[in-house]
Amino acid sequence: MMPALPKDMVALAIKTGASARAELKAPPRFKAGDKVVARNINPATHTRLPRYIRGKQGVVQSNRGGFVFADTRAHGLGDQPQHVYSVRFEAHALWGADAAPHDAVYIDLWESYIEPASER
Amino acid sequence: MNGIHDLGGMQGFGPVVREKNEPVFHADWERHVFAMLNLTMAAGQYNVDEVRHSIERMPPAEYLTSPYYEHWLYGAENLLDRKGVVTRAELAQRIAELTRKGQT
Repeated sequence: MMPALPKDMVALAIKTGASARAELKAPPRFKAGDKVVARNINPATHTRLPRYIRGKQGVVQSNRGGFVFADTRAHGLGDQPQHVYSVRFEAHALWGADAAPHDAVYIDLWESYIEPASER
Repeated sequence: MNGIHDLGGMQGFGPVVREKNEPVFHADWERHVFAMLNLTMAAGQYNVDEVRHSIERMPPAEYLTSPYYEHWLYGAENLLDRKGVVTRAELAQRIAELTRKGQT
């Protein structure tokens, strides 16, 4: 069991939340401008990779830093921190030619959720 | 998991209705659920990702027709039972006790 939060820290933790940032030694695999594809994975376990971007192509906008990995933490498998990237997906890439031409979504994705677009 | 929580791109739910001057809690029990979940997390019973996954496992029809803090309550009940902290039997017993109290 994780150590309990000291009583005098509870109010602050509820007010500001706990940070999920983590130190990372591994160099980032991607950089801004890289074309990437969201992996098509369908685990029965916890994942923060939305269904509607799986298999879709986007462009890395920035590296947000290291963050603990929700997919493993949800199942008692540890923090296993990874780089998290902001990735832009064009509306037409997600919803087809009828989508609004200038719409896009930016989604924060852990490194293991994406692969280089050229590898497909 | 490909659960009902992952609603992105789904259609037919109608517009998002914004409540004017929305209160933080709509009922007193929601306040209790908020405190209970945060304090059980602070006590190290589970982390936020375990809670999220616990909520994802709600039966889909129930998920869509219950208020937000009921999701929190379900998430906590499920995990506390799994970890043997508060079992389903103990929960049922306490609910029966409170129901009797409420009737007298």
